[in-house]
Amino acid sequence: MTAAAVRPAQGGARISALARVPAFWVVAALLLAGAVRMAQIAGRLASAYPIATVAAVLLFALLAVPFWLVVAELDFLEREPLELLVLAFAWGGLVATSVSIPASTALEDLVAKLGSPHLAADWGAALAAPSVEETAKTLGVVAIVLVARTQVNSVLDGVVYGAMVGLGFQIVEDIVFAVGAVALAGQGDQVQPVIATFLLRGFLSGVWSHTLFGALAGAGIGYLVVRRDRRPAHRVGAALLAFLGAWASHVLWNSPLLGDGLGNGALALLGILLLKGLPPLLLILWLVRRAHDREADYYVGRLGTLRDPELITEGELGVLGSGAARAAARRYAGQQAGHAGRRAVRRLQRAQARLAVELSRASKETGANCDEIRVQRKTLRGLGHPEAIAGPRSWRHTASTIVTTVVAIAVLWVALSALGGA
Amino acid sequence: MARITRRELMNLLGAFGVVATLAGLALGLPAIDRALPGERPVSADEPYPIGAGVTVVPPLGATLDVTVTRPGGTTGTALFRLGGVQYKIAVRPFDGDLRSAGSSLRQRITANPGYQVTGPQLEIATADGLAGLQGGYTAPGRSGRYAVFVADGLTIEVTISGVDLDLGRTLPQIEASTRTLRTDGRER
Repeated sequence: MTAAAVRPAQGGARISALARVPAFWVVAALLLAGAVRMAQIAGRLASAYPIATVAAVLLFALLAVPFWLVVAELDFLEREPLELLVLAFAWGGLVATSVSIPASTALEDLVAKLGSPHLAADWGAALAAPSVEETAKTLGVVAIVLVARTQVNSVLDGVVYGAMVGLGFQIVEDIVFAVGAVALAGQGDQVQPVIATFLLRGFLSGVWSHTLFGALAGAGIGYLVVRRDRRPAHRVGAALLAFLGAWASHVLWNSPLLGDGLGNGALALLGILLLKGLPPLLLILWLVRRAHDREADYYVGRLGTLRDPELITEGELGVLGSGAARAAARRYAGQQAGHAGRRAVRRLQRAQARLAVELSRASKETGANCDEIRVQRKTLRGLGHPEAIAGPRSWRHTASTIVTTVVAIAVLWVALSALGGA
Repeated sequence: MARITRRELMNLLGAFGVVATLAGLALGLPAIDRALPGERPVSADEPYPIGAGVTVVPPLGATLDVTVTRPGGTTGTALFRLGGVQYKIAVRPFDGDLRSAGSSLRQRITANPGYQVTGPQLEIATADGLAGLQGGYTAPGRSGRYAVFVADGLTIEVTISGVDLDLGRTLPQIEASTRTLRTDGRER
């Protein structure tokens, strides 16, 4: 692992600091214009279907929470500033959506005019939406780079910002689609079409949607910005390849391929979801995992140079780089030392992550984090559980995983049956 | 007066590059779209496939608006234009009866600001014997007619709108066209 793949930021990203960058004001103006446009659309929807609009906003806002937590947790060791995560989300929800609505319609019309209505009916959505939406979303990561260049210091940062832009887009688009379904049903201000849209777009296809495509395109921008050890042509090529990957995944998802091939019913719908969504999902998850592991190796390596078991032990070095291992260590502390032990391990891990980032910046201000680690270490010793390591796999955790999986499959099956198999 | 540094200049140029690309998408593409004609001649001698196995013989002199027309396997839309009059047919899956289909279409018409349904719904039938309901509505500056049919697990919705003078002149041709609506008889 070389430092070329991770370029630590020299500080946070406060609004006051961002405001000194000229691009910030351009991006702020774009966000304002997007907000005005989307407020007009939301106002129209809310005046015609107030109950359905409120239901859609609530349901999809709830859906955004787990997505947000997962995306923000991706970069546990070097957390992105909240201000920039909010900016990325707002770009997706306000700028990318308000640009995509007229542009996608125009491009689909052009497919019909230059081709035929048949071509537009079959491939219009598959060609127009990915071309416009992936471009508008990727520009969101470019905007983050322009506003806070030093905060994009690894490929994983590009993934996080790209995913946040995609999440903002996905949530706002889903709300508009849900209220559109209410209008199309022609039954007045009903919530049933909102729930159906939530199951279909939020639950069944939400996993392999804009958040995923945005993450892939964002990884390309991250690589372009960070890997300055590589030739410019190589970096540009990698960024283009990532964008094309996001575009192609989106095209495959929107395409009419397999539309009639698997028949009707829940199994057919599940088959289509898996065949169209799973390959890009696995590819992107693999790339994210690689980017995550490279960054984790780098930061854990900084902590390894300390050789101070009071700050981090050998066992904790093995745990800190993996989200699953960190969670296992917190669970183990909960079993051994109760809620207090679990809380102390969480605080210890956060302080260790902050210390790793400070060390990578060659900062002299590591004292506060070292003190925090020592406080938590003392607490853990007092609880009889001095080390934040993962314990042996417990039968309770295994049973809980199995039950959760069974419940998830059952919910998925009910949703598939309601939407495709009925 | 503070001077702008080279770094700030490049930053600003990058931001304007983003703005230019967004403008190209949001304004450029619609401008190109508007510059190209969207209407195609359509034969009034043969049935036109709307989608989902539904066909109609278009009125004489009508053109097809390809920006709205979208034929498909389970759904379909066709928009014909006769001068200033729009004649739109939309087909989609439906599992209710004719009365609920009529009610749904009326709801969607009146959901538009300024649109009002006028008079009662009357029964109609196509040349093939497909039973339907029809009615009228008014919109700001224009009037309209609607008709709805239910067959083979589909609803076929017809909406016609234009200014009164044009509508009065073309309505007999359009109603004759509506009577040629046919389905392929396959349950969906």
